[in-house]
Amino acid sequence: MRSSRVRTRLTVALAALAAAAVVTWPPRACAQQTAQGFALDRLYRSGPGAGWFVMDTLDMHGGLGGVMGLTAGYAHDPLRIRTTDGSQQLAVVSDEAMADVGFAATYDRYRLYLGFEMPLDVSGQGGAIGNYRFTAPNSGQPFTPSGVNPSTAPDTIADARLGLDARILGGPRSPFRLGASAQLYVTSPNETRAEYETDGTVRAMGRLLFAGNVGMFGYAGHVGVHVRPLDDAPTPGSPQGSELLFGVAAGPRLPLGKEGAMALVVGPELFGETAFRSFFGSATGVEGLLSGRVEGTADDGAQLRVKLGIGAGLDARFGVPEWRAIVGIELFDRGGRKALIRP
Amino acid sequence: MGLVLAGAAWMAPFPAWAQASPPGPHADAAFDLMNLLTQHDLHDIRSESWNAYGQVTYISSWKFPFSAAYTNLDGSMRSLKPDAEQSFTVSFTLFFGARLWHGGEAYFVPEVISERGLSNLNGLGGSIQNFELQKTGTEVPSLYRSRFYLRQNFDLGGSPVVKESDPMQLGTTVDSRRVVLTAGTFTTLDIFDRNNVAGDPRKGFLNMAFMTHSSWDFAADARGYSLGGAAELYWDDWALRFGRMAPPLHPNTLPIDPNLSQVYADSLELEHDHVLFGQPGAVRLLGYRNHEVTGRFADAIATFQADATKNAAACPVTVYNYGSGNVTAPDLCWVRKPNTKVGVGVNLEQYATKDIGAFFRAMYSDGQTEVDAFNSADRDMSFGVLAKGAPWKRPFDVAGAGIGASWISSIHAQYLAMGGVDGFVGDGRLRQAAETVIDVFYSFNLLKAIWLTADYQHIWNPGFNADRGPVDIVTGRVHAEF
Repeated sequence: MRSSRVRTRLTVALAALAAAAVVTWPPRACAQQTAQGFALDRLYRSGPGAGWFVMDTLDMHGGLGGVMGLTAGYAHDPLRIRTTDGSQQLAVVSDEAMADVGFAATYDRYRLYLGFEMPLDVSGQGGAIGNYRFTAPNSGQPFTPSGVNPSTAPDTIADARLGLDARILGGPRSPFRLGASAQLYVTSPNETRAEYETDGTVRAMGRLLFAGNVGMFGYAGHVGVHVRPLDDAPTPGSPQGSELLFGVAAGPRLPLGKEGAMALVVGPELFGETAFRSFFGSATGVEGLLSGRVEGTADDGAQLRVKLGIGAGLDARFGVPEWRAIVGIELFDRGGRKALIRP
Repeated sequence: MGLVLAGAAWMAPFPAWAQASPPGPHADAAFDLMNLLTQHDLHDIRSESWNAYGQVTYISSWKFPFSAAYTNLDGSMRSLKPDAEQSFTVSFTLFFGARLWHGGEAYFVPEVISERGLSNLNGLGGSIQNFELQKTGTEVPSLYRSRFYLRQNFDLGGSPVVKESDPMQLGTTVDSRRVVLTAGTFTTLDIFDRNNVAGDPRKGFLNMAFMTHSSWDFAADARGYSLGGAAELYWDDWALRFGRMAPPLHPNTLPIDPNLSQVYADSLELEHDHVLFGQPGAVRLLGYRNHEVTGRFADAIATFQADATKNAAACPVTVYNYGSGNVTAPDLCWVRKPNTKVGVGVNLEQYATKDIGAFFRAMYSDGQTEVDAFNSADRDMSFGVLAKGAPWKRPFDVAGAGIGASWISSIHAQYLAMGGVDGFVGDGRLRQAAETVIDVFYSFNLLKAIWLTADYQHIWNPGFNADRGPVDIVTGRVHAEF
């Protein structure tokens, strides 16, 4: 009798516990989750005065010199989300135009620089793919009764970049030059991830650089690590943490004008990155860029460099556009006329 | 020729490429990067191909409690709170300049600001206590490009004029007769209404009443910058300037409307520099004409009187409005359309000795439409005296005292008295009076690069309302240049 009562109480208690558990247990992840934005652009520009768009010629030399550069680019469909079977796709970011203003000081074999990334236009389409809802950039209201939405600010600077490049081995025109590069990306506190312009966190890059000149042929490359704290796995098409960087570039250097006062360099740049957590898996991007540049060759006085690049993504990962166009203009002084002051 | 250029600038839309106060000149003996490089023979500061400067400024203001017959009456929400409050701004700016070709210069100025205004920047119409405050500022620092523009100088002869290396000025020599064209993103105050005596607000008067005309509603985004262009003709002691700038998309907001052929703010200034009793001075006459999407006070009142359901609290959420909750008040949200605002002003400066100077500004604007970009005043007057510390052996110190007053038009006052609000003022009721401020400060220099300032301000009739105030504010400022 008593054991029956105990059993009944136990059954009631377990039933109540089960009911409470059902009521309070969080629902399974069948509801839609909203994907957040991030710094989408994966064309990680080299420092002002580095020659190539992504690689570095490592030809710093002379006394104190300087570079002021403006780079502007457009990328088409840099973020297109697809279902695994390809039945659905959504161009979350279909158009991305960015400008980058950079300043560098060069001295001997070193380059110290500061750059500012400024979004000109980032637009796309919002919608749902699978269990994830994607919000298009630039969908914020331009104003609220209490003020404006900072994410729609026309004067935005997305990320500021501080970098230091150094040539470790070789001279400025050696057949083989080895260098190192460190870059720190500081996000603008007023920027929001929703605009696909920033990760909202500090990022850093460390790269091993190599370059050289053999006759009229030049080459450059890098391998490095992008320390990216943002890890949005498993959200489709999102960063998955730190990345390995790789890339090469090569092309002939052709003299132009009287006594070669200018030079034309034309060649391909092939670059990419892969997340360590899915090494050469779903977060790998590879992109090719055919670039050309005309630049002054004199060691002293102000020189001009004009660059143009047209390229395409070689796969369909985030940040890798269907196609891309980029132009750059740099005013630089190699500082060759100035005395090199050594301690 | 200047008129031709002015006409050309008037007719031609500028390309849509985009602290509102320009920095003051650096002293030759200042401790900064460019002087340091020059001293080590690494830079030619007299004929620069590039330069880079920076500044950081921290300003903290304490407002004491004051008496007020009412505050935010009936749901209006633009009163300065009568409680004690603290406000601050922190700004950090880098100034980059580069010579592109003969006479061609490019400037890029990124800036970070963090701020907290008194009463969310409500309740002061023409004499906001800290000129650095921006309408969209938050305590979260904002990084933005304040200026990004090209300048082209065409020399036309005359005598050589040395332009010292400064923020947004490459060291060079130009002709006293020249044409200067500027296009891009900058503040109107970089070109117009300069005053050498009042100088750089980061080292001088803190109150906005002394930065420029309080009633000059120059086009700007909520930070004080905009895009557009200007043409200047310098002819020895004379200068003629014309500029067209883009207004904000909605009054006092950050996005700007780049359609310069449809909405714009035009400014025309004539300047004459003179020497009086052996000391330099200048006279400037300024006129402006804005064609912007704003609300007329008379239209708002008439709309409300014809249909009381069109009140301030009933503004549709789809229409830009300030969020007033006053159901008994008219509101500008119902009547915004392209309107014209005009004004004329005078700006005088005169040195009495090498180290002591005085300035005077006065402007009359028509006062029929709301503030679109600067502040709420419709008329203003300011006068100040500044002295450098050379007589007491501290040549980098600066001391100053000034008085500024601003007024509103009768129709503006009627609108506010009915409970209406504009971008900054609106207590729910009004007993009209001039908002008047006295500002006294001393800036103590350290190491030729750091200025520590103590400042006191006394403001009568905040929000042009004799039923409130006066208000006392003390401020400390740390400013460094490098």
